[in-house]
Amino acid sequence: MPHSFLVIDDSKLHHQMYRLIFSRGALAGSTVHYATNGREGYGLLAAHPELTLVLLDLNMPEMNGLEVLERRRAEGLHPHIPIVLVTTEGSAEDEARGRSAGAWEYLRKPFQPADVEHLVMRALAKAEPIA
Amino acid sequence: MSVGDENPFGELLQDYVLECLPLAEQVADTFVELERRWRAGDPADELLGSLPGRLHTVKGNSAMMGLTPAQETAHALEDACGLLRRSSERRTDPAAALLITGGGLLVDLVRQASPELDPGPAARYVERVRQWMQGEGPPAADTQSERRRTDRRGGGGADKTDSVVRVDFRRLDALLEVLGEGLIQHSALAEAYRRLARRSGACEELDRLDQTILALEKTLKRLESTLMETRLLPIASVFGRFPRMLRDTAEAEGKRVRLLQSGGETPLDKAVLDRLSEPLLHLVTNAIVHGMEPPDARSLAGKPEEGTIRLDAAPHAGRVVIRVADDGRGLDEKAIRKKAEALGQELRDDEVVPLRSLIFLPGLSTAEQVSRLAGRGVGLDVVAGAIHALGGTIDVETEPGKGTAFTLSLPVTLAIIRSLIVEIDHERFALPMAHVAETVRAEPDAIREINHRGVAQWRGDLIHVADGGAVLGTAAADRAPRRFYVVMAAGGKRQALLVDRLVGHQDIVVKGLDPALGRPDVVSGTTILGDGRVACILDSVRILEGGRRAG
Ligand SMILES: [Mg+2]
Repeated sequence: MPHSFLVIDDSKLHHQMYRLIFSRGALAGSTVHYATNGREGYGLLAAHPELTLVLLDLNMPEMNGLEVLERRRAEGLHPHIPIVLVTTEGSAEDEARGRSAGAWEYLRKPFQPADVEHLVMRALAKAEPIA
Repeated sequence: MSVGDENPFGELLQDYVLECLPLAEQVADTFVELERRWRAGDPADELLGSLPGRLHTVKGNSAMMGLTPAQETAHALEDACGLLRRSSERRTDPAAALLITGGGLLVDLVRQASPELDPGPAARYVERVRQWMQGEGPPAADTQSERRRTDRRGGGGADKTDSVVRVDFRRLDALLEVLGEGLIQHSALAEAYRRLARRSGACEELDRLDQTILALEKTLKRLESTLMETRLLPIASVFGRFPRMLRDTAEAEGKRVRLLQSGGETPLDKAVLDRLSEPLLHLVTNAIVHGMEPPDARSLAGKPEEGTIRLDAAPHAGRVVIRVADDGRGLDEKAIRKKAEALGQELRDDEVVPLRSLIFLPGLSTAEQVSRLAGRGVGLDVVAGAIHALGGTIDVETEPGKGTAFTLSLPVTLAIIRSLIVEIDHERFALPMAHVAETVRAEPDAIREINHRGVAQWRGDLIHVADGGAVLGTAAADRAPRRFYVVMAAGGKRQALLVDRLVGHQDIVVKGLDPALGRPDVVSGTTILGDGRVACILDSVRILEGGRRAG
């Protein structure tokens, strides 16, 4: 079954990186939606309840990752979709704030394609327990 | 994960430069601006606050690309800015100098975007920042994390990273040449097909051949646009040198100048950028040395002591327009006209010769303009020549006491030019389409003579008509009947050129811009046409300026 993902990151370079990651191996053929800021990303999240996983950048100029998480929690939007907060050298406090705001997992830069693949596998295992 | 692993994102190095170089440039420029503001007693909090986000992005992107020196330099600067935001008493000249050095280093590291760079300079810089931060009771935690990071990275730094694909621009040039040959072969094929079709009439096989030739053209076009895209770099890679250069020049000249920039993200072909750097640098240096008045003269004139130079770039109609503007004293029009007359330029009273056609004359730079920095004997004619050689135009506007602005218009890419091929006295020439407004059949009485110059009616206006043979200086004996004229337009100027025949449109590959050919004035290069013939590329801008011909 093809998966679908949402990438929210202000860096176009990161969009390209995710494009590479989602075009090979087990993830090839996935649908990926891209947003360049939190506001746009939130709209896409609302429009796509079928998302497998969301990769959310913490550091963005317009509505950052934490604000997206907080708004989503407040509005109770698609709580079943796991959101991964992506940071650069995130501190322990950042991590704790992210988790309490509803981040499912953390991904730290620099990451490798395998790290993302692993997160996807874990998210799938969580959503569809092997019978 | 170790540094030596193949970077899975190695193919995105160009994208990394496109995204990070403008950010690094903005950061470096902000450092220069911070120094200025701090000296003026302004804490510049909001400016300082704009830095961490950008540095954070450069740091994260560099980390993803495995470019450790850039990552660590960005991190050190981020830490230093954090400290400066917390303690305003540390916003001193030495601190600004430290930041400016780091900004320059970061720009270099990002521009080179190579995983094989010597990690030494970045490591030494990081250490300097660490010591500076420690200098007056820095937060201990920051220092520790600095050390941790260095230790963690220390081990694998020398691993070979040659599996990362990094494309040398020389390879891209070689590819472009191959593509050029492909395009020429395509043109030859298309021409052969047309002859064949005329001779044998329509048939199924010919149709298929036509389809294949069309498909080949599309493929080559796709190859061209992909290749051209890989060659694009943000103009910030040239602009980036200016803030630091300007600071040094202004200091040496005893002037107070600030630089405002916009459009650094505008992409341009590397070949254009390489040739643009010198002339732009010259214009900016000129603006500081000649354009700007000393602070006391400025305040006497009721202007702020600190002058402003603006450097703006923007894409416009498939080209890039760059403006270099200062708010200095303006050009001394009288002196320029006098000098131009001394150089033998006939200035008739009844005709207003625009300044722009004088200022770029060779040898115009006046003696009193020679100064230590700008006095390398390079006049504006050399700048104009360099811009024209790029297929560009340059124009100037000036107002006494208000300032001077140079406007450059440049092609985004250099090597392949869409051209109109014309025939003049049995020879073929290429006219860049960028300057061709229209082609018109020359009816017998369409051209009249006024003041010994041909004029024709065009879109309700009278425009000058020049004879192709006269412009080229071909022998009158060889003259063929002129059946068409090509209306050329550039930089607000229009003129028609009489030619014998319109051969067609073609994408030509410029073979060298060596002007040392028979007719240096109006020829900007050569190309090989579809039939294998060599044709000269006409410099339409020169022709529009009236050329520098004898007749
Ligand atoms: Mg970001």
